[in-house]
Amino acid sequence: MPDVAIQTYKLTRTFGNLTAVDNVDLQVAAGQFFGFLGPNGAGKSTTIKMLTGLLAPTSGSMQLLGLDFVSNSVEVKRQIGVVPEGMGLFERLTGAEYLNFVGRMYGLDRATTRHRSEELLEFMQLADRPKTMIADYSHGMQKKLALAAAVIHGPRILFLDEPFEGVDALAAGTLKALLGRMTERGTTIFLTSHVLEIVERLCSHVAIIHQGRLVAQGSLEELRAGISGEEGSKTTLEQIFLSIVGQSGAERPQLEELSWLT
Amino acid sequence: MADVAQSVGLFEQIRLVAGLRWRLLRNSMRKKNNRLDLIGLIFAAIFGGILVIGLCFAFYAGAYQFLSNNRPGWIALLFWGIFLFWQAIPLFVAGFGANFEFRTLLRFPLSLSAFYIIGLAYGLADFSAIASLCWLLSMTAGAAVAKPGVLPAMLLIGAAFILFNATLERLIGSWLERLLSRRRTRELFLGLFVLSMISLNFISPLLNRYGAAARPAFLRLVPYFAWLPPSLAGRAIASAVQLQPAGFLLGSAGLLFYVLALTLLLRRRFAAQYGGEELSETAAPARPAIRPIAAKDDGPDRLRLLSPQVAAVLRKEFRYLTRNGFTFLTLLLPPMLVFIFSMNFTGRHPTWGKGVSADFFFPGMMAYLILILMAPAYNSFAYEGRGIQTYFTAPLRFRDVFLGKNIMLVTVLALEMALSLSMLAWRVGLPSLHMLVATVAAMVFTIIGQLTVANWSSLSFPRKLEFGQMRGQRQSGMAVLVAFGSQILLGGISAVILFSGRWTGNLWLPAEAFALLAAAALGGYIASLDPLTELAEKKKEALIEALCR
Repeated sequence: MPDVAIQTYKLTRTFGNLTAVDNVDLQVAAGQFFGFLGPNGAGKSTTIKMLTGLLAPTSGSMQLLGLDFVSNSVEVKRQIGVVPEGMGLFERLTGAEYLNFVGRMYGLDRATTRHRSEELLEFMQLADRPKTMIADYSHGMQKKLALAAAVIHGPRILFLDEPFEGVDALAAGTLKALLGRMTERGTTIFLTSHVLEIVERLCSHVAIIHQGRLVAQGSLEELRAGISGEEGSKTTLEQIFLSIVGQSGAERPQLEELSWLT
Repeated sequence: MADVAQSVGLFEQIRLVAGLRWRLLRNSMRKKNNRLDLIGLIFAAIFGGILVIGLCFAFYAGAYQFLSNNRPGWIALLFWGIFLFWQAIPLFVAGFGANFEFRTLLRFPLSLSAFYIIGLAYGLADFSAIASLCWLLSMTAGAAVAKPGVLPAMLLIGAAFILFNATLERLIGSWLERLLSRRRTRELFLGLFVLSMISLNFISPLLNRYGAAARPAFLRLVPYFAWLPPSLAGRAIASAVQLQPAGFLLGSAGLLFYVLALTLLLRRRFAAQYGGEELSETAAPARPAIRPIAAKDDGPDRLRLLSPQVAAVLRKEFRYLTRNGFTFLTLLLPPMLVFIFSMNFTGRHPTWGKGVSADFFFPGMMAYLILILMAPAYNSFAYEGRGIQTYFTAPLRFRDVFLGKNIMLVTVLALEMALSLSMLAWRVGLPSLHMLVATVAAMVFTIIGQLTVANWSSLSFPRKLEFGQMRGQRQSGMAVLVAFGSQILLGGISAVILFSGRWTGNLWLPAEAFALLAAAALGGYIASLDPLTELAEKKKEALIEALCR
């Protein structure tokens, strides 16, 4: 098993004149719970789309589990699981049908697919609505199903684009429980989220992207030490994040300007 | 606090809502892709204007003639015409979905009475209501010119009639909104609507066959219509003309009774909405059920000859077909069309002595069915939505997706053709053997030939479509053009080859030629799968962007 799960070299993606991701060199060790952060429009989703085969890079390269993605895309995809932006669900299937579909797409045999589907539906508390179509699921239920579909084939790397967005505390608890199980079995988890508290609690390592460029990367301790200049600092991830992306207090909108709200 | 919102007058709120409606329409025209809608709207406005103004003259003349020629009772016919138009048009547009939800106004500080009155006034801004108001005014003018003394009665009854129609239209609209808020009902409604439109084709043959017998039954029902609002309005006006106060009072009281009853019902509906009626169909959180994991014996896989990926796509396509009520209902179309055409053009027509021979009818009918059934294949990812991403994140080659989709389509086509063929055999009879074989071979050639082009079109010109909606559900213009072009080309080739048998005197020549062409088309199809897989990789970003909107 390679030590490095994800490695990118000068990964770049442009859209016309806009460079969404600019020469990103990323390295994620196997088994890490990795948080990928950045403000809106920083290039998080573009990066995760490239790493999962949904978007082709303009230049640069990427290796997953030691394999070059472009020349081994099918083999790489077999070993990764994805919860893409918008979840990518087929809304006209029931939860069980969708999991069966995905399992078979990843080449699992029928019996294994069915067994894992049922287990996952039970675990995610989705088993009591066997005839409900995904279109009729609540947002939280859809998120849980999307995560179940991403792990059904036992991936070695799991990519999650905003998995906790719009999810209530109960559903978030279930998602975290499943992610916990995945990390226990050595799965590398690559997660983007705007909820910094969750990232701080779950992730051991973090990278921050800003205006398409990777501006910080390392363990939380390393980042804290880098900001405060001392080891064992109590600096929060939010403070680190605001400090790095430059959204200091001086640049924030001034409430005093809204005189009628005072 | 610096200030507190002031209460706004009812008329100001109505003015604001009218302004909002206008701005929504105006802003929707600013989008580039809505320019065509604007042109369509201008044409619709011109034709609508001609319709309304033309019928204004007709209503004026009708009212004038009925009252001048001492036939005041016939004015009820005009009230019936307005009533049917006012109520039917909103029903027809209901399935296309509203672009503004009146209920969203509930977030503002409105009293129930204000909400009710704004709701009623909102209904008066519909095209059907405006047209009906114009016609009622024309009727009133015509009646007043013919009999000036009837003007007060016309104004009074006209006002009550407007109130009745506006209330009924909003009530039906409100019920429909509640009904159509559920996805399944909405799709079923849409499917039934399409089927009912097609069923109109049966009216002529049915009238020919049963019209005379049905007339007495219909005439027996006529007296009951006298107690319905348009007849009551007509009776009140006729009584006013004939100076019969009792009749006038009876008609007016009847009409007002309807207004009162409908007002109560509408107020109840609006009160429910005002109180926060929940129309969402999202599944509520349920108590987790503890169930043992079933140890089912799956049995042998019926699709084991296919790769797991192709089989998975095929199963998913089948489920999508059965879940799409609208598409599923349209599968009834081909045999239905064969039935309709056979009634109108062939030897079994009830009124015609002779018809088209089966040797002409059979290939013509099959070509028509291919034309209809192949059309969706040119935008085959239309209903995938965000699920399209799964095809690119899963470890598969895109040829598997095409194979799964195409096998499903060919299976459906084969079933449809078999059904239609049975219908043909029953209604018209089978064609000669050489024509049957040639046509079947031609179908294989045109279907497989089109699949290659259709797969390319699906990748190149994707357009997202939503289940159960008709508003804004247009295929990509290029996809339509490609479909049209390839169907004309393949249809033309097939027609020439079919006729070549007659020209050369060798009746089996078309069958042989089509067999060769079908084999070539199959070879071309198989050879196209790998290049299409590469194309899918190149087009994936555009495809995902188009379908994940």
